[in-house]
Amino acid sequence: MVCYHCGCALSEHDFCTNCGVDVSIYKKVLRMSNNFYNEGLEKANVRDLSGAIQSLRQSLKFNKNNVEARNLLGLVYFETGEVVAALSEWVISKNLRPKKNIADDYIEVVQSNPTRLDTINKTIKKYNQALLYCHQDSKDLAIIQLKKVISLNPKYIRAHQLLALLYIDAENWELAERELLRCEQIDFGNTTTKRYLKEVAVMLHPEETEETKSPKKKKKKEKSEEIFRYQSGNEMIIQPVEVKEPKGVSFSAIFYLLIGIGIGVAMTVFLILPARIQAVRDNVSEQLKTISEQLAAKSATTNELQQQLDTVKREKNDLYSELENYVGTDGTIQTMENMLTAVNGYLQAPDDVEKVAEYLEGIRGEVTIEETSESFQAVYQSLLTAVGPRVAKTYYDAGMAAYKQEVYADAVKNLEKAYMYDAENIDVIYNLGNAYYKNEDFKNAAVYYQLVVDKFPGTERANRSANYVKEINQMP
Amino acid sequence: MINFEEELKKFHPSLEVEDAEDAIYNQDMTDMADLVVKVVKESKELDEGTKE
Repeated sequence: MVCYHCGCALSEHDFCTNCGVDVSIYKKVLRMSNNFYNEGLEKANVRDLSGAIQSLRQSLKFNKNNVEARNLLGLVYFETGEVVAALSEWVISKNLRPKKNIADDYIEVVQSNPTRLDTINKTIKKYNQALLYCHQDSKDLAIIQLKKVISLNPKYIRAHQLLALLYIDAENWELAERELLRCEQIDFGNTTTKRYLKEVAVMLHPEETEETKSPKKKKKKEKSEEIFRYQSGNEMIIQPVEVKEPKGVSFSAIFYLLIGIGIGVAMTVFLILPARIQAVRDNVSEQLKTISEQLAAKSATTNELQQQLDTVKREKNDLYSELENYVGTDGTIQTMENMLTAVNGYLQAPDDVEKVAEYLEGIRGEVTIEETSESFQAVYQSLLTAVGPRVAKTYYDAGMAAYKQEVYADAVKNLEKAYMYDAENIDVIYNLGNAYYKNEDFKNAAVYYQLVVDKFPGTERANRSANYVKEINQMP
Repeated sequence: MINFEEELKKFHPSLEVEDAEDAIYNQDMTDMADLVVKVVKESKELDEGTKE
């Protein structure tokens, strides 16, 4: 304590021993400041932060140079989440006492971490935004914003209180109570928190509030049902105090025990067992269903395979019967045998062309030459070339003889065979057309006349054939 | 019963970090000790004035 006039240290006297100025009132003022500081410290020790703030402010009103009070005020502000206010107090404190001041450390802690400072600023901005939302009646947005604020700075009392107020407005009493209890954990002496909590308590526990109002009823109730309550975190634990402990084992206890066992057995029989049985049944039916599905799938596969087997059997029988047609009595293929006979006949008697022609016709009657193998077709064509012209001549002569005798059916038959063996002979084709014409088969006659026109253009017979074709076409 | 609108009026925006400097400068630093000193000085001056 120094003299305000000369700066000399003051003694126990009411005047300055250096300059003689009366310092009695000045000393009282400084003592008052110290008293308020002590009071603030005591309140801060029991977490009555609001009370501490009030006392410390009073202390600073009496003596602005009370650095301890200012530092403590900053610390209390910091604890309630008011970081800027705390920083302000510490900065002033540092200015008042630049050296050996704990405020230096506090400022260093806050300012050394830029991320932390940025988070603090963001928190404040979000709180202000939430407040703006409240004024704009966007309460849902405000709640969201305040939840963010609290997640960033869980000790921010004002944010907790505003959130609680919003919950109260929404009649969400439990959540409001939770927020207010958190406020109370940080600052026990906050009157706003207490006022809100009282309101919430009235809504949540109306009967308890009634009891508080009528002490007689409360006393009576307490006598009949004494309970012990305490707070564990956010939960209110209610524990009955007078619980009679049983002394020794009595018959009634055994009786109750037996009843309990009986009830347990009955519950097992009537409640648990049916459920278990049902579960087993469900399981079995599920398995049956699976097996049935598998069986059905296998049956379908079997049917498909059976059908394939039937088809294969049918095809096999068809092929057998087809093969039988080709195979003679001695097991060789009939067509092949006929071919061999024809070749043999030609080799033994090359002039007996009629016999060879007979074999060839037999072969043609049994198979379609174009469907036989290449080697077979080659042998057939060789034989046909060897005997063809002579056979054609024989049939042509026979046909013309029949034609002359006006037996046109025979003529057609023989000339057809002649054409078969020699398709490039104009006499054969032209006379075949004539034979058909005479036999009054004009359609076939026109076919052969047209062949003459196409194959031998510019000849006398071609001109005649063209006339005949024209004549036939003009027929009705 | 709590009136939301009335209660809301009691909440004020928090000071942001950028505003801290202004807050420090604008703080009323006059204390009771200053007043006492001032009163004592004024009374002293008055006494001296009457003597003259």
